[in-house]
Amino acid sequence: METPETPDDELVARTKAGEARAFDELVVRYSPRLYGLLYNMTSNHEDTNDLLQEVFAKAYRSIKGFQGKSSFYTWMHSISVNMAINFLKKRNRRMTMSLDDVDNGIINDPDFIEATSDHDPRHQANLGELQKKLNEAMMKLSHEHRAVVTMFDIQGMPHAEIAKILKISEGTVRSRLFYAHRQLQNYLQEFITN
Amino acid sequence: MTPEENISKLLRLKRYEQPPPGYFDDFLREFQSRQRAELIRRPLWELVWDRISMVAPAFQVPRLAYASIAALALAASALIIARPGPQTSGNLADNSRPMLSLTSPNPVTIGESLPVATTSTGSPSVHYVLPTRPVSYVSSRSF
Repeated sequence: METPETPDDELVARTKAGEARAFDELVVRYSPRLYGLLYNMTSNHEDTNDLLQEVFAKAYRSIKGFQGKSSFYTWMHSISVNMAINFLKKRNRRMTMSLDDVDNGIINDPDFIEATSDHDPRHQANLGELQKKLNEAMMKLSHEHRAVVTMFDIQGMPHAEIAKILKISEGTVRSRLFYAHRQLQNYLQEFITN
Repeated sequence: MTPEENISKLLRLKRYEQPPPGYFDDFLREFQSRQRAELIRRPLWELVWDRISMVAPAFQVPRLAYASIAALALAASALIIARPGPQTSGNLADNSRPMLSLTSPNPVTIGESLPVATTSTGSPSVHYVLPTRPVSYVSSRSF
């Protein structure tokens, strides 16, 4: 098994040379982050799992064409976002999601409870409802707006990085964020404290 | 706190949504088995092409050269396929004339059946008959 310090470029070069284990290391390294991206785009674990498999399969097939003009990180995110958007366009997502579809253990997660502790106690009583509302609100956004919100607000990526991944200007990223936040405010009015 | 900040804060809660423990270990195993399955299902030409792609860079040939060679090969194949076969009718298939063939049992007689050029005046065709005695290359002059 590779050490975590092995740079992406080296693993990519070794994968290109035919060493499949080097790509496995990249899968281990990037799957949690890309899972988060895809999950917040689809709001469904099964879809996320299938998509993530396809993302890595596509990356593996096309890695010889990866010339290193952008970082591997950016390249993988671009593939993921594009595949997620195509997936969502092809399939009309059902807007009704059960809580079980969304997540199983989050309500009992101490980190989650702590993170929500400064909210109104009335809302703390129903964290599941908050989670459900958040996902519903996200699913009401357009695919492009959802991608920007996911990367900026949830994954904490800077505007410049998002712009590179989506191949749009930073101004467009900010504009999409502005409109997406305004839309989300309307959906989540009851959970917003002033 | 502005509404914008509030929304960002709420959205950050989604960071805690994670798949069940052990998911990513299983994910890698599933990925590997899918890759292997895909490899088995791949058509032969893809495997051959992959082999060629693996070996080709060692030849230090520019990438454009491969495209040119492939195009030439394709054009040659198209020519071979499109070339007309032996015709059974028309002027070219005049069966009354003996065919020049190395395997023909009968010797070919020059002057009897082979066509020769005619004059522009339309006079009867002139036949050139080979002399029966071979031409001697020995000079006839003697000193």
